[in-house]
Amino acid sequence: MKRLLFFILTAACSVIFVYALWRDTDRDWTRYQHQFVKTLEPANRKLVSGGIKQVIVDDLKRVDRCTTCHVAIDKPQLALGEEPFKAHPGKYLQWHPVEKFACTVCHGGQGIATETLAAHGDVKHWEEPLLRGQLVQSSCASCHGDVQAIQEHVPLLVRGKQLFQEKGCYGCHVIKDFGGQLSVELTQVGSKPYQLIHADFEMMPHPHDRIHWIEAKLRAPRLLNPGVRQDQLPPGEEEVFPTAMPHFGLADDEVKALQVYLLSLRDFDPPTSYVTPAKPEPAPVYATAVDRGRAVFQRFGCVGCHNVDGVGGRHNWNAGLGEEVPSLMYVKMYYSEDELRTLIHNGRQPAYRGRVHRPVPPVFMPAWKDKINEEDVDALIAYLYSLYDKVLQSSTDGPAAVAASADVAVQ
Amino acid sequence: MANPSLIANVKQQVKKTKVWKSIFRHDFSDTPRTRLQRIFGNVFLHLHPVRIAKDAIRITYTWGLGGISFYLFLLLIVTGILLMFYYRPFSAVAYQDIKDLTYAVTLGGFLRNMHRWAAHLMVIAVILHMIRVFLTGAYKPPREYNWVVGVLLLVMTLFLSYTGYLLPWDQLALWAVTVGAQMAANSPMLGNEGPFKLPFITTANDARFVMVGGTTINDATLIRFYVLHCMAVPFLLTLFLVVHFWRVRKDSFSVNTGPKVDVWPNLVSRELLAALLITVVLLVWSLALNAPLEGVANLNVTPNPSKAPWYFLGLQELLVYFDPWIAGVLLPTFIVIGLMAIPYIDINPKGLGVWPKMGKLKVGPISIPWPTERPFAVSVFMLGATMWFVLIFIGSFCRGPNWEWYWPWEVWSHRRISKMTLLNLPNIYGLALMGAYFAQALPFPKAAKDMLRAKAGEKAPAFLSAAFHMGLGFVISAAIFVPLVTEQKLFEGLGRSHNSPAVQAMYGWVHTMGPMGYGLIGALVLVSGLLLGWVGVQFAKFKDSLYEELGPIKYVIAVALLLLMMGVLGKIVLRLLFGVKYVFTLPMFNFNI
Repeated sequence: MKRLLFFILTAACSVIFVYALWRDTDRDWTRYQHQFVKTLEPANRKLVSGGIKQVIVDDLKRVDRCTTCHVAIDKPQLALGEEPFKAHPGKYLQWHPVEKFACTVCHGGQGIATETLAAHGDVKHWEEPLLRGQLVQSSCASCHGDVQAIQEHVPLLVRGKQLFQEKGCYGCHVIKDFGGQLSVELTQVGSKPYQLIHADFEMMPHPHDRIHWIEAKLRAPRLLNPGVRQDQLPPGEEEVFPTAMPHFGLADDEVKALQVYLLSLRDFDPPTSYVTPAKPEPAPVYATAVDRGRAVFQRFGCVGCHNVDGVGGRHNWNAGLGEEVPSLMYVKMYYSEDELRTLIHNGRQPAYRGRVHRPVPPVFMPAWKDKINEEDVDALIAYLYSLYDKVLQSSTDGPAAVAASADVAVQ
Repeated sequence: MANPSLIANVKQQVKKTKVWKSIFRHDFSDTPRTRLQRIFGNVFLHLHPVRIAKDAIRITYTWGLGGISFYLFLLLIVTGILLMFYYRPFSAVAYQDIKDLTYAVTLGGFLRNMHRWAAHLMVIAVILHMIRVFLTGAYKPPREYNWVVGVLLLVMTLFLSYTGYLLPWDQLALWAVTVGAQMAANSPMLGNEGPFKLPFITTANDARFVMVGGTTINDATLIRFYVLHCMAVPFLLTLFLVVHFWRVRKDSFSVNTGPKVDVWPNLVSRELLAALLITVVLLVWSLALNAPLEGVANLNVTPNPSKAPWYFLGLQELLVYFDPWIAGVLLPTFIVIGLMAIPYIDINPKGLGVWPKMGKLKVGPISIPWPTERPFAVSVFMLGATMWFVLIFIGSFCRGPNWEWYWPWEVWSHRRISKMTLLNLPNIYGLALMGAYFAQALPFPKAAKDMLRAKAGEKAPAFLSAAFHMGLGFVISAAIFVPLVTEQKLFEGLGRSHNSPAVQAMYGWVHTMGPMGYGLIGALVLVSGLLLGWVGVQFAKFKDSLYEELGPIKYVIAVALLLLMMGVLGKIVLRLLFGVKYVFTLPMFNFNI
């Protein structure tokens, strides 16, 4: 009996150990390498060697084993038409030699891993999933300070940066010390730890990664942050507001572009030898004060709340009646220049609201005193006053047309 | 096919060579003589006696738990040494080395799994071994000291496991260790955040600093834990292990009667089979489940919840009910001291070498299994052990973000907000509560009883005892309920007052029944006082006999430990049912109970 048990247990031990050894040797990469070598001419087989391959780049702190499976990535003459045996498209590898840049610096993923899912970063606890398709453009900005210079390669990145300004995101979000501070700073949103996004993840479908989170947030901010109503809370708790971020109604390509831009904002500091510094932007020249004011209105993100050309209508919890941000088209009628200047300088503190019983909301007109310089404020006032002149001009079309154009802008 | 006689011939020749004879001192035929020679002729086996009582090696007596613990320790040394080839205790590369083990080293991940799971198994095996030794009374004379050594070994096993936890340098490791280090910072007197802090204690010289080797967890901590894990603690553990084994032999086995059998092959074969069985379990476990590895350690991103290693989760769960210096320092100290004290305060000679005999205890219509021979010792110890594991279970499976309660099948939500409003009992009530609680332990010595009987009649002692315990019951009950009613202003509206279940219920009564409600509350105070008093009266006789049996010193230690353990339970009830945060606070000393 004991003898039998002894033999059974010993046999079990050996079988399990052999199985573990077999499973350890039968990896994704061994299979891919076999598959690849079989397709080669016997003469060519010497060109590739087996085993785990790795590119070590100390400067960037990378150990990338991607070439273990992607065997032909830098050997176009051996490459096949299907993954993982394709060659790298374009001339990018000539510009960015693998030995100097490795792979994950641009493409994301877990370079050190040797299993497909883990290497592509599609596993728990790896927060840099592969930047698939056009998303890879977001990596270029890590080193290329002057994105305009490479714009034919990174159209989405350029467009995203432009959109960020056009849509007035700077009104609430800071990037590199520029912008309003009403909301979260976005300087490193492209490498934001998942731990800080967990609450949002709960409101969106899988996969729960930064890429999809940014997309979901851009498409429908309120779906991720619907707030907590009073009746869902224990007595005595204050209501939690839904996000104050307006619904911008972005088109698919706009979402993609903004996604690429936001993903490019990372906590990553490559050594200076890798970096091409940004050129200082030439000081723009404006024909009139109104033009300059319009640019200021644009640049500081006033459009984020007050909408394009100040037609108003964005949803805001704090705005007096109707919870909408006031239009600026009629400021000339209500404010003297000094009053307007004070208002821009000091912003508004939440004082009253349409529905009194609700708590103080998070969003209100911020103070711009030390952010917009005085000449720009002058220009801004000139621009805001010009809006009323426009109303007067178009009043020949009747006020309905103005309202209609505002509606279009809202949508 | 070779000629069998030829093989036999070669065998004979080999056995005659000097080399063979110099290594193997005896031949291997199964004779009584060689059975003995195998044991005392072998350095590893001679720790065993040559012959042993048959009953002492019954599998259902020991379950081989001590041997299994030792085997797991050996296994951990072997896998640990192999892992050391690949691991550098330096924060810039430690995490990467673990990834390398997983992805590039042959069987590296498997090796790490084995080390990790073997460590967990060892903790379990050691704890179960302790429970077994307690239940079979194997710590009783002459083996009291060996039990103390065993408790030290348990502590060292836990510490060994805990120091190893940091080494992968991932988020799990960092924050589990942070929880532990934070408890050190809350030590009384020596911790920078603890009560009664000594005047010279700062963050740069307190207990936490000593533990993590700095004010933050960084490379210094990693090398410290590495050395402790790979060198210092294993060394100490081996030393004490040697003492532990040697004392088993010297103090002789607790079951040392009845027919004896040869250790070879009877015991050795069992040990081998147990080791094999554990190996199979461990191999399967390591194949099926990978050791966890989260993202690289980041001091700026705190996981929510941050959990300590599972064997400390019971203590972390107690953090809900107690300040860190109690849950993290005082209670573990009392647990360890209490465990060590067991053989010296349990002087009952019964139950030596047998599992407790179970009888039935009738409580009204239901009968529950109850130990007949050492009812008090067994039930108290098992209550403690059960509490330990229940708290671990709660901490592991029932606690989610913000340490909120989630059932194991519930999905965690970082959006859920629920709070129980808490209140502190005013110190005067808290003192009354604790005083009455501990006063229940006061014995009624026989001499005093006799004196009273002589002076005031036959019934006087029983009457006085009943009055005393009933009085204490009412004091406890009043000390809890009175502040709940007076401090809460029940009429102010539920939204503003306390939302613990008890207060909500009382509020409901007052609100629906008016003055009747107050009457009901009064009745509740009376009934609960009566109940508590009744429990006291029930135990009065046992308490007095225990006092006569143990004498004052042992009695005080035993009863203090027991009351502290029950006090932990009591505080949990106070918190969950009555929303009481502290029963006694001295804010200026950062001293809260």
